[in-house]
Amino acid sequence: MLRTILRNGLLASAAVVLAVSAYAIDIENLEYPRLNDLKTPDIEEVTLDNGIRLYIIEDESLPVLNVSVRINAGSYLEPADKVGLASITGQVMRTGGTEKWTGDEIDEALEQIGGTVETSIGQLSGNAFINILSDYTDLGLEVLAEVLRRPVFDEDKIDLAKVGARSGISRRNDNATGIASREFSQVIYGDESVYARNAEYATIDAITRDDLIAFHQQWVQPEGLQMAIWGNVKKRDIVRKIEEYFGDWERGGVTIPAPPEVNYEFERKAWVVDKTDVTQANIRIGHIGGLMTDEDYADRIVMNNVLGGGFASRMFNIIRSKEGLAYGTFASYTANLTHPGVFIAYTDTKSESAGKAVDKMMEVIETMKTEPPTDEEMQFAKDGYLNSFVFNFDSKSEILNRMMSFDHHGLPRDFLQQTKQKVEQVTPEDVVAAAKRNLTTDKMHLLVVGKTADFDMPVSEMGFGPATEIDITIPTAEEQRELVISPENLQRGQEIIERAAETHGGTDGFVAIESISRTGTLALQTPNGPFPVALKSWQVFPNKSRSEISAMGATFVDITNDGIGWKTDQATMQVVAKSEDDLANDRLSERRNLIAIFKSLAADELTAVYDGSGTFSGADVDFVALVDETEEAYVRLAVAQETGQVMGKTFISTDPSQGGAVREEYLEIRDVNGVKIASKTARYLNGDMVAEITLEEVTVNGPIGDEMFSQPQ
Amino acid sequence: MRRTPVSAALTLVASLCVAASSVAAFDMSKLTDQVYDTTLANGLKVIVMERRDAPVATFVTWANVGSVDDPKEYTGMAHMFEHMAFKGTETIGSSDIEAELKLIAYEDSIYMELRQERTKGRLADSARIAELEAAFNEARDAAYELVVPNEFGNIVDREGGVGLNAFTSADATAYFFSLPSNKAELWMAMESERFLTPVLREMYQERDVVAEERRMRTESNPIGRVVEEFLALAFKAHPYGIPIVGHMSDIMNYSRTGAMAFYEKYYAPSNLSVVAVGDVDHDDIFALASKYWDRIPYRPAPARMSTVEPEQLGERRMVIEDPSQPIYIAGWHVPEITHPDRPAIDAMLDYLGSGRTSLLYKNLVKEKKLAVDVGAFGGFPGDKYPGLAAVYAIPSQGQTNSECEEQILVEVERLRNELVSAEALEGIKARAKASFINNFNSNQGIALQLGGYQQLWGDWRELFGELDRINAVTAEDIQRVTNKYFTEKNRVVVMSETSQS
Repeated sequence: MLRTILRNGLLASAAVVLAVSAYAIDIENLEYPRLNDLKTPDIEEVTLDNGIRLYIIEDESLPVLNVSVRINAGSYLEPADKVGLASITGQVMRTGGTEKWTGDEIDEALEQIGGTVETSIGQLSGNAFINILSDYTDLGLEVLAEVLRRPVFDEDKIDLAKVGARSGISRRNDNATGIASREFSQVIYGDESVYARNAEYATIDAITRDDLIAFHQQWVQPEGLQMAIWGNVKKRDIVRKIEEYFGDWERGGVTIPAPPEVNYEFERKAWVVDKTDVTQANIRIGHIGGLMTDEDYADRIVMNNVLGGGFASRMFNIIRSKEGLAYGTFASYTANLTHPGVFIAYTDTKSESAGKAVDKMMEVIETMKTEPPTDEEMQFAKDGYLNSFVFNFDSKSEILNRMMSFDHHGLPRDFLQQTKQKVEQVTPEDVVAAAKRNLTTDKMHLLVVGKTADFDMPVSEMGFGPATEIDITIPTAEEQRELVISPENLQRGQEIIERAAETHGGTDGFVAIESISRTGTLALQTPNGPFPVALKSWQVFPNKSRSEISAMGATFVDITNDGIGWKTDQATMQVVAKSEDDLANDRLSERRNLIAIFKSLAADELTAVYDGSGTFSGADVDFVALVDETEEAYVRLAVAQETGQVMGKTFISTDPSQGGAVREEYLEIRDVNGVKIASKTARYLNGDMVAEITLEEVTVNGPIGDEMFSQPQ
Repeated sequence: MRRTPVSAALTLVASLCVAASSVAAFDMSKLTDQVYDTTLANGLKVIVMERRDAPVATFVTWANVGSVDDPKEYTGMAHMFEHMAFKGTETIGSSDIEAELKLIAYEDSIYMELRQERTKGRLADSARIAELEAAFNEARDAAYELVVPNEFGNIVDREGGVGLNAFTSADATAYFFSLPSNKAELWMAMESERFLTPVLREMYQERDVVAEERRMRTESNPIGRVVEEFLALAFKAHPYGIPIVGHMSDIMNYSRTGAMAFYEKYYAPSNLSVVAVGDVDHDDIFALASKYWDRIPYRPAPARMSTVEPEQLGERRMVIEDPSQPIYIAGWHVPEITHPDRPAIDAMLDYLGSGRTSLLYKNLVKEKKLAVDVGAFGGFPGDKYPGLAAVYAIPSQGQTNSECEEQILVEVERLRNELVSAEALEGIKARAKASFINNFNSNQGIALQLGGYQQLWGDWRELFGELDRINAVTAEDIQRVTNKYFTEKNRVVVMSETSQS
């Protein structure tokens, strides 16, 4: 036989084809030995008096200790105006140190031995874990107990976490896939839903250390913890040690509310995000999904496998293999334990085939309701699930984490086995029925992210009705604030501004200032570094001002005089009369001047509204919005809670040449005639530093001739 | 509330010292004793590690071929072939193999004519192209009629296989999935078949899929764009400078003939290793390997790619204008993994850029808050040939690449001038040990490591020599390699700066 020849190695390569046909493999008729029994690991369960539940597996194969803690707290518990609080709390519990050690000391100690202890809080639950060589079991447990029980939330590490959060926001539109998954969630759950909302600059700014302390205090409590332990430990030893580190932690006694329900109304709608720097369209189609406890959960598992999971699925076969339209494509009707998942069909395709891909995707989805799975499809869909079932039990971490989640949600321990039995019973008719019941194909959302100019058809013509363009521009903190003008906020605003005036030397001192002249340096921030220019200014209150900026032999002048004014045009270098827009902006600038503000306060002409607290220039501050006659805020002052000092101000500038969100931070304060004014200011426009202004000489009530404010020759 | 940091640090250090010695005593033989290997007559290496935890096993085919071996005009071919290896064989994936092979041959003959005409560029005859395209589309669709789509993957799915996947790197190509451990024979049968009688069906549909993969990973991804430019700038001669996925124009001109030639040259059994890790018996595995893989005749292994990157004459630097937020990456040319300087270089990179106590994280992230992420890694894009040690920074909002660069260079300079402390060196070695031990917690992780060491060192046993090599590194070694390699002249820098729209 050829097989023998092959074995004897006498075969010449020319004979390969012949040889193969004679010794073809026969995959359908392979006989497998019996699968070794699954040795379900022996799990010891202990509940401490304070409610902490332990799940322990002894495993001596590696000299390692692993601990995974499920914390019953999530971002769904944080207030809508402080989105990001749970995540930052979870992070700074560990990085911000504890009563015993700073975060940096914990970093040093753990990294010196290659150990890890980390904490985090996600949408529905938090997690803490240890991975450490088992010789350091005590160290690992003590650090874990410290960070869970006694975090001090060091300010500097809160700032670090906020820098990270803000940077994450600033980068969130860099990647089309990130945009698509974020916006799809918002389309399905609604943009204010706890299951879809995003942190914004304003919500990050609003978070204070007190918020972190309160969040931890309220929600991280021993009766909300489940702790899985596996590795090179002895059950009795480890229980004793955990008693030692956690046993005297008293119950919090707070009932933690369940995650909220979802109200969903089916509708057919198209959404588009135009992103010009990509060559692919990122397409998502779908609607709300279901729960794992739904009656037809097992039917949907089979439905998902036929439709969109894996190599055998209809989506993969049609979209990727047959049409070559995509590298990535799938579809799934997902289910959660707490709230409905989503139905999502997804494809990444070149811009030029976006419309075609949408068509094909809908065609494939529709087949689920009309074409019952063939025997072959059923076999693939079921066998795949059943034959791979053992992989649900091949890692201790998976077994224990799943058990904690099932216990928490009150699912039976054998939920997976029950589901497996149901999957075995699913028929093609069940799959079609599940598809008809669950896939509302005429009321789905379509979201496309990509370079619309290159699409083969406008998104509005893809069969989902007129497309709504989603504006993904990242709102500045300033734009996002909503001012509440209530009697309480008016009173509190007034108190804060009065205290600020005291701190700055009292209103009398400001009233005494009739004019002020200054010289200094304006350091413009350019891509090549700071570019310093000389600055001079004169101001006669309330409405006369002149500034001169000199650089490289040229002088730019800017004059305002009671409703008229002139300035050097940057293009022609000629002095021209100011436009209406310029003058309107000047009037606002006059009102935003700190000296003018305190003068108005003295004259009782100021309306100050408390506008929340946060951090500014590294200090905890109260914000005070000053509002005009139409109740519009024209400037917000940041007043340090501790000292009452004004740390800076923010406003939306309508300056025709440099409009946008402006933030001015007062870096240095100087005493002038008994009052404190800023002598060094950093100015930011839309988040980027544009200039730093440093004053040298300041003269109050000096002689300033009227000709300074008349039209220059 | 706050106690002095010194006393607290002391309590921590005190609790550390207790146990340090017993970890050092970790018995490596517990692991090595479970690994077995053999070599078949055709040169195929077979490696087995017995792990009896759960009745599952992971199987890997590790091919000593990567994108460095891509032929000219066929950049990305190693990766393209990896995709094609999922398309089946003469026995898997066809409803009528004889008829299909004829249709495929016909499809190829038209395609080669079409390719020839297209590559004439401006001198091409557009009418002829249109005619050939029509004929080609017809031939392609005819061949597709006989395809049983994705049969290879379907069988794996159906039999309970999980994690069916593969990757192509600059150095290597690996194929892997896990099965219930009683189905080792299924893997042996299918996997040997796929490298014995591969049929590259659906070649031209899959080419479009690969083009989409390139669009997704490189063209539509800011980091992908930066990395492609970075490697191109760093390597002018060595193919490490060529993207693994290939250039778009080459992808669009792939031919099946080219892919088969690539397969013939590089998929000789003597150029492959197979690895099984899990609840299996090594004698059974060796017997099954022999039964199925012996069918592939011996072919000599291809010669190692021999182009050497010339020494760099001065710093190379590039700025990309990109709509996304800034990204910084710098690299220095360093030798291949088997070079005696590499353990010291890797130790240096760990101290410089791994973890919250690394020099870069402490300076740029914790103290100055210039970056949200910073790191250092060696062997980029590969370890088989001299590559790069790289440092990257993701600037915080409002911070710049140049501020990050300034501080990165301060820290590199520090390592040129100062010896790392005994404590720091101890930390480097302890981290290496912990990470080495933790890498033994999953079948797939172990299998991929064994395959990788077998390729790069010619012997999987070198995996277990990793800690000895790191433990031999001295503070002087680290300073010496920093001065030798981390120079301005030897440096390559790419920054992406946000374009003003």
